[in-house]
Amino acid sequence: MGGFSKSLTGRVILRVDEVEKGLLVSLADQVCEFVTPEPRENADPLAAIVGIDMDAEFPDDPAMARLFPDAYPDDPEAALDFRRFTQRSLQETKLAHARTVLQSLSKSGEKITLGSGDIPSWLGFLNDARLAIGTRIEITEDNHEELADLPEDDPRHGMFHVYDWLTYLQESLVQLLLP
Amino acid sequence: MSSQLDVARPETEVVVDRPWITLVWNDPINLMSYVTYVFMEYFKYDRAKAELLMLDVHEKGRAVVSNGTREEMERDVAAMHGYGLWATLKKDD
Repeated sequence: MGGFSKSLTGRVILRVDEVEKGLLVSLADQVCEFVTPEPRENADPLAAIVGIDMDAEFPDDPAMARLFPDAYPDDPEAALDFRRFTQRSLQETKLAHARTVLQSLSKSGEKITLGSGDIPSWLGFLNDARLAIGTRIEITEDNHEELADLPEDDPRHGMFHVYDWLTYLQESLVQLLLP
Repeated sequence: MSSQLDVARPETEVVVDRPWITLVWNDPINLMSYVTYVFMEYFKYDRAKAELLMLDVHEKGRAVVSNGTREEMERDVAAMHGYGLWATLKKDD
C-alpha cells in the first residue's frame, strides 16, 4: 500500500490494488449519498436556483453537523439564516468533489493519475470522508490506540482502519502539495 | 426616531463598523498539515504564518484567521466549511 506520489513528469499519482479501489468507489458513493441535498417540495424555484434553502435546519446527525457546522454558535437565528443561504451550495460542492473522485476512479486502472483540476476534489473528498467516519467512531485526540485495539466484531474496528488509511492517503497528498 | 432638532445637532459620535472575525476551532480529525495547507491556499498566507495559526488552533483550541466586514467573514467561514474546517464568525470585542 502506498500513498500519493509524483511521477517523473511531476503528475500526482496514486497506485491502488483492486480492494483499495473498490473501497474508494464505495466511500465516494456513500459521501455522494450523504451530502446530496434533500429534494424540497414547494420550494421557491428562484431561491433554489441561487442556492437558497429556506427549509434548512440544524442537522440532527452528528456527522452531518460536523460537515455543516453552525457559523454563529451563540446566535441560533443568525446561524439558521447562514445555513439557509449557504448549506445547499456547500452540499453541492461536496457532491461535486465526490463525483470527480468517482470519475477519476472509473477512468483508471490500478494507477490513478490526478489532473491538477482533480486535486482539490480529492483533498475535499478525503477530508469529508474522514470527518464523517471520524465523527461516527467518536474519535478524539487521545483514543486512537483504544480504537485500533477494538475486537474485530466491533463495528468501529473496520471503520477505524478505513479512517486510518484515509488519513494516510490525505497526509501523503498534502505533503506533495505543500511548498 | 427623528426630529428637526436632530438635523441641527452636530455629529458628535462616529459609529464605527466594528470589524468581525473568523475563528477556526480545533478538532481531532483535521490534519495539522491540511489546516496549514488550507490557510496558505485560501488566505494566501505564507507557510510561516499559516503554521503559526495552525499551531494556535491546535494548542489554544482556536485562532482568529481573518477579520473584516460581516459579509467578508461570512464568505471566509463558508469557504472554511467547504474545506471541512470548523469555523465560526463573531463581532470582535
